[in-house]
Amino acid sequence: MKKRTFGPGIFIGGFLLYMLIPIVATYMFSVATRWDRTILPEGLTFEWYKTAFADRWFLIVFKHSLVISLSTVIASMVIIVPTAYWVHLRVPEARPILDFISTLPFAIPGVVLALGLIRLYARPPWMLARTPAMLVAAYVIFTMPFMYRPVVNSLKAVNIKVLTEAAQSLGSSWIRTLGQVILPNIMPGIISGGLLVFATIFGEFTIATFLVGARFKTFPMQLVYYTRRDGRIASAYSVISFSIAWVSSLVILWIATSWAKRSSSGGSVVGKDISSR
Amino acid sequence: MKSVPSHHTKRKGRWLDWIPILPFLLLCFAIMILPLFFMLWGSFTSADGQFTLQHYAEMQASIYAKSFKNSILLSGVTAIIGVAFGSVVGYFICQLKSKRAQELVTALCDVTSNFSGAPLAFAFIVVLGSNGVLTLALQKYLGWGIYPEFSIYSFSGLILSYSYFQLPLMVLLIIPAIAGLRREWKEAAFGLGASNFQYWRHVGIPILSPAITAGLLLLFANAFGAYATAYTLTEFRYPLVTLQIGFLMKGEVFRDPGAGDAMGILALLLMSISILLYQFVSKRGIKWQR
Repeated sequence: MKKRTFGPGIFIGGFLLYMLIPIVATYMFSVATRWDRTILPEGLTFEWYKTAFADRWFLIVFKHSLVISLSTVIASMVIIVPTAYWVHLRVPEARPILDFISTLPFAIPGVVLALGLIRLYARPPWMLARTPAMLVAAYVIFTMPFMYRPVVNSLKAVNIKVLTEAAQSLGSSWIRTLGQVILPNIMPGIISGGLLVFATIFGEFTIATFLVGARFKTFPMQLVYYTRRDGRIASAYSVISFSIAWVSSLVILWIATSWAKRSSSGGSVVGKDISSR
Repeated sequence: MKSVPSHHTKRKGRWLDWIPILPFLLLCFAIMILPLFFMLWGSFTSADGQFTLQHYAEMQASIYAKSFKNSILLSGVTAIIGVAFGSVVGYFICQLKSKRAQELVTALCDVTSNFSGAPLAFAFIVVLGSNGVLTLALQKYLGWGIYPEFSIYSFSGLILSYSYFQLPLMVLLIIPAIAGLRREWKEAAFGLGASNFQYWRHVGIPILSPAITAGLLLLFANAFGAYATAYTLTEFRYPLVTLQIGFLMKGEVFRDPGAGDAMGILALLLMSISILLYQFVSKRGIKWQR
């Protein structure tokens, strides 16, 4: 009855090749001496990494991207977590409004967000648009769905109303309730959201290049610069960028699966369903 | 007697309850809503402050019209490629015997759907650029020169590199829907004498159709808004909506702010429609599956 077919193998095999070849090739290219005469690289070298690290710009752009990404993660947590908690506890009628607002960034291309901010805030009365602070504010909005959804899903998974009332009947203040009772319970959502925001912002090129540009060069800007100047150094930058992205993704997946095993209620705590463009 | 004042304080309390949300709402207003409304206003205002439709009329100029045509084509084609192949790959992943293999391929999709922008574009230059590893290998070992018919810096290259982040996203979207296809339905259909084709034509595809439609809409928006991948590959040489907007605001002084605003608003309109329809369709899909 059962026919042996090659369809599944061909499709999955082809898919895996398409997904893996560009990544593997970039990793190999970054440690290859010469790779234009033979099917495999002629030798192994760390020269390109050495050259990349020796350039003083490397540390500068890495630090800039790190500072911007971490600031965005912290600002996003500080603004979104208490808001989501409060809305779920006390203002349920605002929930649809927040759910709607939190999906808006999906509909705004980064380049359009940058255009709007520059048009409005880069004019004489303000002159705010081209500052790192404005970049962080734009990033908090741009990545809002990544933080809001996992946090909301976590809030739904635990009974925050009962937890809050229990804490308060024992005399706990609002701040203490949030910090010591609610936060530990929704940690997986917050960490997943934070990692996704971090990975997205660390690799974000478009908004950064238009808002701050050469005034505050970030890692992806330098990567794009090298793709035109020196492919070897660009490959070292790409590998670092790739590695940060996949390590973050794997940690998020690991949190999601280990949490799903622990809690019976199911429901993904990871809110990602659109890529980071 | 007692219920009246408590009702009163409760009402007052309800109003005060909104205050802690204000910082969040203010941020959204200042960083997202206000700039977009300013763009909308700018797109209808001439240089001397009068109402005008001229900026939208300008969109008929060949470069803008071409950008919209290319962007819609690129997003549409890669959405269809992503949905078609992504659904099939997703189906075969669900059929894998080993749970471990399923998890591994899904994890790969999760990782690769996040690979976009400059590193992705560069990876494709390494593989299929004019001196790319695969380009040279094909030339040397198969005598097949893919250039100049194919070029990673042109439309064909954009299709190939955009499909790279579209495909795994679709796989992630379709897997839950395929997992919702019950074995009993298939058995019932076959028990009644249906062929494999008839099962898919009358049972499988109709059940998956909300997920497929949602996938098309989301993938379209996903590609339409992309910038960094196309910029790294083509700089401003290939006319796309996002690249054209970027080109207009490159540098400190705007060449043509009104045209930028009009383009931005039109792009926003297209994206919003896709995303709203996507949410509508995927919510209906969820309701249906219950």
